[in-house]
Amino acid sequence: MHGPVNEVIQFIDLNAFNIIFLFLVGFIGGLVSGFIGSGGAFVLTPAMMSLGVPGTVAVASNMCHKFPKALVGSIKRYKYGQVDIKLGLIMGVFAELGVQVGIVLQRHILEIWGQAGSNLYVSLVFVFVLVVVGSFVMRDAVQMKHAVGNSASPPIAKRLQKIELWPMLTFKTANLRISLWFLVPVALATGMLAATIAVGGFIGVPGLMYIIGATSIVASATELVIAFVMGLGGTLIWAYYGTVDIRLTLLILAGSLFGVQLGAIGTTYVKEYMIKYVMATIMLIVAVSRFFAMPKYLNALHVTSFADGNVTVMTQISFGVMCLALLTGASIILVSLFKARSLEQAIAVRG
Amino acid sequence: MGPKDIKNRAGQSIVNDAITNAGSSPSRQEKTSFILVVTRNGHMAEAVMNYAVNVADHLKYRILAVHIDTLPFFGDGGKRSNLFTAAMEESALLFREKARARDVVVEHLGESGKVGKVVQRLCHSEKRIEFVVIDQGIRMGEVAAQSPVPVFSVIYTQARTIHTNKARSHKTLEKGEPSMSTTSRKRHVKNCFVFGALTAGLYAAVFTNQNFVMTYFTKGGVYALLPVAVVFAVSYLHGNFTSAFWSALGIEGSKATVRKSTDVRPTVPASDAVRKDDRPRAQISV
Repeated sequence: MHGPVNEVIQFIDLNAFNIIFLFLVGFIGGLVSGFIGSGGAFVLTPAMMSLGVPGTVAVASNMCHKFPKALVGSIKRYKYGQVDIKLGLIMGVFAELGVQVGIVLQRHILEIWGQAGSNLYVSLVFVFVLVVVGSFVMRDAVQMKHAVGNSASPPIAKRLQKIELWPMLTFKTANLRISLWFLVPVALATGMLAATIAVGGFIGVPGLMYIIGATSIVASATELVIAFVMGLGGTLIWAYYGTVDIRLTLLILAGSLFGVQLGAIGTTYVKEYMIKYVMATIMLIVAVSRFFAMPKYLNALHVTSFADGNVTVMTQISFGVMCLALLTGASIILVSLFKARSLEQAIAVRG
Repeated sequence: MGPKDIKNRAGQSIVNDAITNAGSSPSRQEKTSFILVVTRNGHMAEAVMNYAVNVADHLKYRILAVHIDTLPFFGDGGKRSNLFTAAMEESALLFREKARARDVVVEHLGESGKVGKVVQRLCHSEKRIEFVVIDQGIRMGEVAAQSPVPVFSVIYTQARTIHTNKARSHKTLEKGEPSMSTTSRKRHVKNCFVFGALTAGLYAAVFTNQNFVMTYFTKGGVYALLPVAVVFAVSYLHGNFTSAFWSALGIEGSKATVRKSTDVRPTVPASDAVRKDDRPRAQISV
């Protein structure tokens, strides 16, 4: 199903296991996306790669599934009044620029180092971003949980919002006023990351929260708009090179649209720190998973020479840990959703 | 303000009733002060009435309320004039009630002609008019140019809320919520089946023609639009299906959502939130 080094883009055969797996992963990925605004993809890209889908096809098919999911999710969350469309569209346009830069970079890597190099690069970026940002978000979530009352906007965001640099933009739903010059770097970084690992939200959502100063609910909802804009642009380009596997996209979408609706519903029940908490938990566990996946690509590039048996075990561990990440995130969301829901119903019954 | 011949008024007036409270008819010898309240509408605005009654009560003045029919010869066979008269009578009744509550005397006149001319004439009549209050629909300049006394206009925004009762009645729907949600539950189930069937059809079409699809959809170039078009269709059909699916199962967003999302946000600086002053207020022009 999957050769060690494939210089030519290769599409996988679909069997019953793959179909069910993609549906389930799609559902859980969608659940996570609907809840934290992104991140279905960070689970899905490696999941597809675990099935033997080449990195480029995985990223392309993933991006193609991302924008319809983001569209559905943002419409749902807009109905709950959580989306700042203006912020999302402006960030989306600049993120799109970042995507273009990222795509060029990715194609260079594919040309220079081949498929294995491309896979390794994707995994490396994954581990780096997940560990750094994930631990920061986790620390904040824990602090927020123990803090009394609502915490004010983060200090960096507060300072940046005070700087009057033309053109200043006002965002009503996000309830903040900030210069365009601070939005652009966040948006560009979001786009570049999105093009590389198909999930810009790991820069986008923390960026919106800590640099721009939006609440985690608005940040995660607005990220869906950004994801839609750059997902659409990115998909058109990946599809232009013929790397989108529409069957994979549709299978993931089948599950993820169920998930994204449920995830969006979930945000209306939980406390703010829960979004950060879920995000950080999933990021850190997936980072561990990708770390175990790296020897395979390193071997393929003849950088290291692990024994074949060890590589197989590590690949399996990687796969298992990723499943754990999925299940952990999903169960936190589902448990907190249904707990809060039954609590609300109990209160309603008591009057 | 000497007395002036007002005989030509009788011919044009539609109603010329002095509506006063029992036992308090104005004595011309005392030269009681009047507030002249003028409208060209059938129904005088309540904000204007309230303002006039308030001021009259404070200053111990009386009110001369005048409805001016500015188009007495409107070419519709007297229909407009009749309507105007009917409205004026209603309005006069309301004004009288409001005034009675505050022990204020209201005299009522029906006039016709140009507003400025009528005001000028009345001010020069035997009544001692201290100032004029005009209703909406009358241009300040028109009156101020002809009036020997100060003219006030009453700016009000409350009138709008009187007409928006329909919008406010939405709140009462909360009482019927259980029945509302059961009917919409049925709608969700129906949507679920309709969009579910359409989604299934689309998926079947793609997967039964896998070879064809994979050949053309991965060709690149202009063919890139094919996968994009398909996923847009899926997001509409499947998106509606999944939304209806969870709603049909009764899993919907928290009812406290709106409150929560506003609670979370930091408070808006006071300078941004200047409250709109919707009290009636007077504007002077001498």
